[in-house]
Amino acid sequence: MVLGGTGFIGPHMVRRALDRGHTVTLFNRGRTNTHLFPQVEKLIGDRNNDLTALEARTWDVVIDNSAYDPRWVRASAQLLKDSVNIYLFTSTRSVYADFSEIGMTENSPVHDVDPSAVDEGRRLGYGPDKVLCEMELRRAFGDRTLIVRPSLIVGPGDTTDRFTYWPARIDRGGEVLAPGDPTNPVMFIDVRDLAEWYVHLLEQGTVGVFNALGPEAPLSFAELLYGIRAVTSASVSFTWVNADFLAGHDVRPYSDMPCWMPARGSRAGFQRFDLTHPIANGLTYRPLAVTARDTLEYHKSRPPERRSRLRAGLSPEREAEVLAAWRARAGA
Amino acid sequence: MSPSRRDFLHTSIATGGALGLGMFIRPSTYFRKTPRAQEPLRILILGGTGFIGPHQVRYAVSRGHTVTLFNRGRTNTHLFPDLEKLRGDRDGDLEALKGREWDAVIDNSGYVPRVVRQSAQLVKDAVSQYLFVSSISAYASFGEVDMDETAPLGTMDDPTVENIGRYYGPLKALCEQQVQEAFPNRATIVRPGVIVGPGDRTERFTYWPARIDRGGEVLAPGDPTDPVQLIDVRDVTGWMVRLLEQSDAGVYNAVGPEARLSIAEMLYGIRAVTNTDVSFTWVDADFLAEHGFRPTMWTPPRGRTAGLGLVSRDRAIAKGLTYLPLAVTAKDTLDWHKSRTEEEQSRLNARLSSDRETEVLAAWHARSG
Repeated sequence: MVLGGTGFIGPHMVRRALDRGHTVTLFNRGRTNTHLFPQVEKLIGDRNNDLTALEARTWDVVIDNSAYDPRWVRASAQLLKDSVNIYLFTSTRSVYADFSEIGMTENSPVHDVDPSAVDEGRRLGYGPDKVLCEMELRRAFGDRTLIVRPSLIVGPGDTTDRFTYWPARIDRGGEVLAPGDPTNPVMFIDVRDLAEWYVHLLEQGTVGVFNALGPEAPLSFAELLYGIRAVTSASVSFTWVNADFLAGHDVRPYSDMPCWMPARGSRAGFQRFDLTHPIANGLTYRPLAVTARDTLEYHKSRPPERRSRLRAGLSPEREAEVLAAWRARAGA
Repeated sequence: MSPSRRDFLHTSIATGGALGLGMFIRPSTYFRKTPRAQEPLRILILGGTGFIGPHQVRYAVSRGHTVTLFNRGRTNTHLFPDLEKLRGDRDGDLEALKGREWDAVIDNSGYVPRVVRQSAQLVKDAVSQYLFVSSISAYASFGEVDMDETAPLGTMDDPTVENIGRYYGPLKALCEQQVQEAFPNRATIVRPGVIVGPGDRTERFTYWPARIDRGGEVLAPGDPTDPVQLIDVRDVTGWMVRLLEQSDAGVYNAVGPEARLSIAEMLYGIRAVTNTDVSFTWVDADFLAEHGFRPTMWTPPRGRTAGLGLVSRDRAIAKGLTYLPLAVTAKDTLDWHKSRTEEEQSRLNARLSSDRETEVLAAWHARSG
């Protein structure tokens, strides 16, 4: 049973599960992408206040993609603890308190949170709330808990445009502003890899906590951008602008320059996780060219207004401004 | 194609293996999507059974043209059983061409002027356009960046010395001259750089996808920004046929891609089509020269080769030359290489498993401390 299942990552998991011959039920408010999966049982309710459709039903596993409020997890986990065997919760890399260490693992410290915040209905922010979600889940399901903490999830269907910015920008051609040091590391996970792995984990009866990032061999930002370039025929060049200059011109990592996080100081380990545990448990990565090409195709299938106004990255005007300033800098 | 090879290709489409980037798989299917040309041409191809020839033939046929092959009937004789094949020898036995007419000729196999003269003179009144496949090696020097088709060509003291190994470039220049003489204003001279892709037995480019796919620590040559150029055989051959359709005479470099490509962009672009555990170690040009390690596709951009990798392609692009994405070239080349027999792969595999790269890397690491 999938709590949600009609947004970005859910549909990929549903498709994979169906392809593998499993029976899937969706539970959601019936508002998003209602045309999807007409052949699948759909239960209607609301995680805020109406879980009645889940009562008196049993499932082998539940996938929870849609919880960021710990009270939601408390409610669903408590209700399902005797009627579902394993509860898979999609958490986040943002549960970690500190990214200054290289080679972080699932045992790295998470945010220090006050569990009473849940009782009091107090929200602590995205990362800490997800920590509370994980705690609520464990309280109900004990060692029948499967928690996955993905990094940036990318690929067809992603409406945040964070990774999409790059294939879209590079395919448009011309002079592309490339951020920081070309050797700076980057990590992400293709939603198809995540979905396939989820179903694999559930089939194996795996429990525990796993980070979900990739690829296996460290990838630099230059390898990312040039790998994306390889899937287009656009005439394009890259101008690498150093991190301090970008900071001085108010170009922010991650939001203005998607996927980019300078690996220094408190973020030295943000893109350099140790992936031994997930890989040992079957996480695999499709080639970057596949991710890039599929994301670009998805982007091109969207209406023109949507394509011309991405929700992440720099506008063409802003990019041109910063590039001009870079060219004009003293000593250049 | 042998049944087992066909099975491999079919399977690799179905599984995650080919990952959908392959366009070489089942060429008949690929070319079925090519729209037909406005006017069908009768095209004679001298050669046609090596590397670039078969791609020309397939594209021309899919465009609705009638293709005749002329060669000695020695190479890949199983290809194109439905097409007219004339037998002879371009050096001394052109009987089969006499009394025939075509709209255009593509000459893939001309290396010495004395021989090119024979075919060019024979058909000059029976053919409207003669396309000669020359080479950028015809240029006298690569010292200038952005060198275009007006740059001086190589010369030789004694033009009758037919030593192709030593005088490949100057001989090609003389061949071009023969074609121009026989077909003033009707000659199309194409000077390709390194042609790459499925079917390329020189392995100059193939080495890189094969090496990167094998994984581990890869020696990357020179500075990451050093320029490289290449052209996919599907791009150059399709465009050649379109030049004939357009009746475009003239001289054209055929290199790519449109925008400058660095060696890092090439290697990282190739990496993107695999998911192997791989890393790149950049070793500078002087060190490689000291150790006599000369990777293909790359030349240090300085002195006499300052312009290699930066040859102008404006003219060809203006006449419709286009470029497949590098990932398609890389994936198709890798898939083709893996579909070859063990024996066919053995030379490249021997290179891949030689210790030389490991030795040079070890020396590099020791030197840098």
